[in-house]
Amino acid sequence: MSISAPDASAASPLLEISHLSAYYGEVAALHDVNLEIMPGEVLSIIGANGAGKSTLLKAVVGMMNRGRAAHIRGEIDFRGRRLDRMTTVDIVDAGVTMVPEGRRLFPRLTVEDNLLAGAFLPRARGRLRERLDEVYALFPRLADRREQLASQMSGGEQQMVAIGRALMSGPSLILFDELSLGLAPAIVDDIYRRVSQIIEGGVTCVIIEQDMKRALAVATKVCVMLEGRIVLRGTPDDLTEAQVTAAYFGTEIGAH
Amino acid sequence: MNDVSPIYWEVIDIVSGLISGTMLGGYYAILSIGLAITFGVMRLVNLAHGDWLVVGAYLAVVILQIVPISPFLNLVVLVPIMFALGYFIQRLLLNRVSAQSMEERGISPTFALMSPILVTFGLSIVISHLLLAIFDTNARNIQNALSFSSIRIGEDIFIPTLRLIFFAITVALLIALHLFLKYSHMGRAIRAASDDASIATLMGMRTHQIYAFASGLSVAVAGIAGVMVAMSRTFQPFDGTQFLLIAFGVVILGGMGSVVGSLVGGIVLGITQTLAGTYFGPSAQLVAGYMLILLVLAVRPQGLFSR
Repeated sequence: MSISAPDASAASPLLEISHLSAYYGEVAALHDVNLEIMPGEVLSIIGANGAGKSTLLKAVVGMMNRGRAAHIRGEIDFRGRRLDRMTTVDIVDAGVTMVPEGRRLFPRLTVEDNLLAGAFLPRARGRLRERLDEVYALFPRLADRREQLASQMSGGEQQMVAIGRALMSGPSLILFDELSLGLAPAIVDDIYRRVSQIIEGGVTCVIIEQDMKRALAVATKVCVMLEGRIVLRGTPDDLTEAQVTAAYFGTEIGAH
Repeated sequence: MNDVSPIYWEVIDIVSGLISGTMLGGYYAILSIGLAITFGVMRLVNLAHGDWLVVGAYLAVVILQIVPISPFLNLVVLVPIMFALGYFIQRLLLNRVSAQSMEERGISPTFALMSPILVTFGLSIVISHLLLAIFDTNARNIQNALSFSSIRIGEDIFIPTLRLIFFAITVALLIALHLFLKYSHMGRAIRAASDDASIATLMGMRTHQIYAFASGLSVAVAGIAGVMVAMSRTFQPFDGTQFLLIAFGVVILGGMGSVVGSLVGGIVLGITQTLAGTYFGPSAQLVAGYMLILLVLAVRPQGLFSR
């Protein structure tokens, strides 16, 4: 089953972040972050609360361009387009989307309306039926509850809707913010199986994950963030769990 | 009819009270739908809502002077003009002072919440004075043949034809609005943006456009209501406030921001006022209405029919 076509341009990075800093008002949340993601890669970002993981994802989807309330400096390139100069709507139209922390479904909309809302872009409307069928095939449980209000679903089901909603726009890069936070382990296993299917379908993924074992298991590349900086990066094979733990707590800063 | 028992007239009183209260309620509902839309979608308390109604009423008079067609046909011209007015006021003015944009400009959240309300208050003053400058204080209305006709049910119950037509239009409009919000892409986007505006942008929805569309819808419906006002009574440039008060009452009764709630809220208010008028005299009508609103605010502040 394919959710989206694999990317042809395997040589150049899909997403390239250079010298990215982010600010909430005057307070800096990211300092000079540099990051490359190749097509088809799965990047896990690990880090404590307040390390800047969510801010990084928000910056990529244009949700840090909020005038004086929040802004960014630096460059974010996606297939040769400068995301840092684009609005969220245009970024999503270019093929990047995010599954936000806490799911953030539209609570007074039904499951199906939440999914259809994900296909609002004119580009996505043409393949709406097809994608809806794909999402229901990926999460059969949602097909039975399509008329239920999103707010009445369990946490795990809400996460499925949130992922399905993101797929409806036909993205080539999905950013998952806290994919498993607050969900029962059995449900997390299930969610990761579905995410693996999405990855096999050729979608590039960035995943923020608190559970280190899961983060290392799913990833082709790992970053550890601390106080707004990337303090450790590598492939899951290169890194030991001890190294990641040390970087997470900042006991061994700068182990590049 | 000397042989008819007094109970018959009691029943007739109650039944006609319920029927004319329902008709009045439909009229109240259409006065309020626009307010419910802007509040439901943008959490915007639009103090200029009543003035848009008056603009609709004057616009209808002007259109009828240029092309003497039926007042109902002139909606074809009036509705697009009113929609455009609402759309551009939102794009050029209200979107710039929304709580969200004020916060982006570094203005404190407390004032950011106040600013759109203050701006609609100012807009209300500007609109009514513009109307005064263009027209004058002479009361206007749209004369029509239907004003004095009524439909008879059974022996002793009468429904004014105009009220019945207005009621039918209101119900049709509410059904159309409901279907639009439920099944169209734009309707779904309006509901999504009202649930969570920042996530709506992640779905590719331009919230500023969606707000402008909702505002256009709100003013267009206010325009239709304005035509009904003009056909059923006289009006002046400064009449907006009284319509705003009715609309607030209906929206409080029906549940903030619910379109269908407007009809139920309108009917509850209409029946309460009519029955109070029947039993306690005309002066009791307004008192009963406001007591009902106060009671609902005290007991069920979320509105009678909101989830």
